[in-house]
Amino acid sequence: MRKSLRRAWDGLTQHFGALFEAFRKGDAWTRLSFVVMGMGCLARGQIVKGLLYLAAEVAFVLYMALFAWQYLSKFGTLGTVGMHKEWDEALGIYKRTPGDNSMLILLFSVMSILLIVAFLAVWRSSVLAGYKAQRLKERGEPLPGFVQDVVSLMNERYHVTLLTLPSLMVIAFTVLPIIFMILISFTNFDAEHQPPGNLFTWVGFQNFFDVFWKDPMKSHTFLGILGWTMVWAVFATFTNYLFGMILAIMINKKGIRFKAMWRTIFVITIAVPQFVSLLLMSQILHDQGPLNSLLKQWGVIKQSIPFLTNTTLARISVIVVNLWVGIPFSMLITSGILMNIPGDLYESASIDGAGPVRTFGSITLPYMLFVTTPYLITAFVGNINNFNVIYLLTKGGPLVTDYYQAGKTDLLVTWLYRLTVDKQDYSLASTIGILVFVICAVLSLIVYNRSASVKREEEFR
Amino acid sequence: MKKVLSLVLALMLVLTSVAAMAETVSLKVWGSQEDQAMLAEMVEEFKAANPDTEWDITFGVVGEPDAKAKYLEDPAAAADVFSFANDQLYDLLAADALYEVTRNKDEIVAANSAGAIEAASANGELYAYPMTADNGYFLYYDTSVLTEEDVQTLDGILAACGAAGKKMFMDVSNGWYIASFFLGAGCTLGLDENGKQTCDFNNEKGLAAAEAIQAFTANDAFLTGDDAILTGGMGDNIAAGVSGTWNADAIMEKLGDNYAATKLPTFTCNGEQVQMASFAGYKLVGVNTMSEHPVEAMMLAEWLTNEANQVKRFEARAMGPTNINAAASEAVQQNVALAALSLQSQFAVSQKDVLGNFWTPAEAFGTAMEAKDYSKDLQTMLDEMVAQIIA
Repeated sequence: MRKSLRRAWDGLTQHFGALFEAFRKGDAWTRLSFVVMGMGCLARGQIVKGLLYLAAEVAFVLYMALFAWQYLSKFGTLGTVGMHKEWDEALGIYKRTPGDNSMLILLFSVMSILLIVAFLAVWRSSVLAGYKAQRLKERGEPLPGFVQDVVSLMNERYHVTLLTLPSLMVIAFTVLPIIFMILISFTNFDAEHQPPGNLFTWVGFQNFFDVFWKDPMKSHTFLGILGWTMVWAVFATFTNYLFGMILAIMINKKGIRFKAMWRTIFVITIAVPQFVSLLLMSQILHDQGPLNSLLKQWGVIKQSIPFLTNTTLARISVIVVNLWVGIPFSMLITSGILMNIPGDLYESASIDGAGPVRTFGSITLPYMLFVTTPYLITAFVGNINNFNVIYLLTKGGPLVTDYYQAGKTDLLVTWLYRLTVDKQDYSLASTIGILVFVICAVLSLIVYNRSASVKREEEFR
Repeated sequence: MKKVLSLVLALMLVLTSVAAMAETVSLKVWGSQEDQAMLAEMVEEFKAANPDTEWDITFGVVGEPDAKAKYLEDPAAAADVFSFANDQLYDLLAADALYEVTRNKDEIVAANSAGAIEAASANGELYAYPMTADNGYFLYYDTSVLTEEDVQTLDGILAACGAAGKKMFMDVSNGWYIASFFLGAGCTLGLDENGKQTCDFNNEKGLAAAEAIQAFTANDAFLTGDDAILTGGMGDNIAAGVSGTWNADAIMEKLGDNYAATKLPTFTCNGEQVQMASFAGYKLVGVNTMSEHPVEAMMLAEWLTNEANQVKRFEARAMGPTNINAAASEAVQQNVALAALSLQSQFAVSQKDVLGNFWTPAEAFGTAMEAKDYSKDLQTMLDEMVAQIIA
């Protein structure tokens, strides 16, 4: 920790050190380039380069003055004036003139801040380029012309050419939306604060406090759903894993005939899209669904079994249906690894008198866990966010009166969906999204770093 | 000189084309999937009736129940003219989404029923054009099982159904239907002066209604489910069902000559017979405040809801008109389902004052009743439900 802080500090001083040096040792032109970009290059004869820097500065200033400033200046309040309404006698209507829009202010502010950071980098490079040109000139060395600079982009600086576009894309389509979403959790953007009619504003950590203790209804719901999410993730991950492995072992066993056929049969279920199976299952398990009707017709039961409407039964149902959907996948993954376990291990075990349970516990399972821990982590995180199974089977139901807009099989992610889509409770949903991310990240980092796959990597053969 | 002339000519050409472009009025209209063909027809007639303007009218498929959510996603990209259910009115007003109806207001108020105008108004302003008056529910029944006397009381229906081995259908795990008991018992759902939801479903009357719901859902003849269960089972295992006009055709087909509909029955509440209430919902057409052509959008909205088009809507899709003349026509009067709806309407409560937070907790309560989950006592559940509704 200390080391990395140290390194960051060193890097920072180095960056500013270069600028500082350029200012100290630079001549008038180089110093002028601190204010008017590209002057350092222009004065030394790097005309195109200097003009490009100058153009960048002009474009930036224009952008800030004409577009960004109207949003950035309101970033602190996210807008104060709503839509303006005025009686228009000629048209006979209450004419609207748009006022502030908190969402656009937030969005364009974030965008502009990113652009400012980018501009600072360009500014720095322009100063340093001017200083470099000055030093080359002082030493009497030839200055690289524009053509040479472009050629260098194809040769020794080829990585810059390759990575520019992808980096810009990542910033525009990933980084920008993520920052935007994170910032929303610090506002009161909900159904009652809908721009343009009602503006929203910053509320600090209010939403986080609400979720944890301040608002009893929300915190009760959050903790309840968090608990079930964890139970679900553990069960969904490990039952699938275990049963898939057992199935694979059974198919893999000596003496089982038509191995390829069995494997194919289970794999065929993958061919049916998951959501189709899930929707069918939800129909079949319905209170008036085919399964209940059939059981009633046979006289097994009198009342419908509430597979999806009773809390406990619904929870069991989703785990069992998830087994049905997930086992073929884990069977496929595990059977490949099973075939890789050296046969002599089993032979010596059987000579030592170990039964099948002992062999499984002492050879198969440790070997499997060693190889598949990273897979288990991804599966676990995937299950924490397993929207499909829950939403398509129960929609989070059965709903209960003591949860805030949620039901007993709701995961954090399905609750988040309900809050955004049905309730327009964006700030709360965004808060939950951040918490889900924190939970997933912390869990996977801890488990991954402590796993045998990482710790004893060199032992793997 | 020639050069100058050609330059002037070229400039004039550009200017006229710009002017021509400016005269094109682009409008976007939202309507449900089923209404698209009918809407297109109405819009064609609208264009024909207003030939002076160059129209560019496009359509989007957004049904009335989803209009608010879709609108709020991006008001600037939403339709200029869109239809919505009137319980979304306050949420839309909170976002300042709707233009006041100020042009031809008096004519519109005079042409439509008072209830419809009230449903489209808030704070003394009219905010939308009434379109249909059929967002409500009533009782369908099978005359081969139930008599006119049976359907007067819930107990009568359940007894007759039980005796015949049939079921009575009602989707109690749905805030829209379950409110029937609470509102019938005299509870209220309203708004306070700050526009916050008020709800007293947890008082004594509410408890009595909850007990009635508990007894109803515990009855062997009770059946719940979605529309598909009702339309599939009517005439087979279902003899009576609570639903609305959108299922009229399907049920009429299943029941044939035994098809009948009437107001909701009374239910036993604290030992007395109390009439089940219902929600009266209207579908309205609103004009987006972000519209670039508000006046033209208002013309179109008014056109879509005028008498001729309400008659057309009734003929094509059996939707009940809000227009007084259209509603008075013989065809509408003879429609069994609409007649039942208007019979029930005297016990109906406006759905306008119901905000978005009502539905999920009410559904949760209904779900518990249907699942016969009595792990908490009724009063506790009602208190929790109301706490969420007014949250």
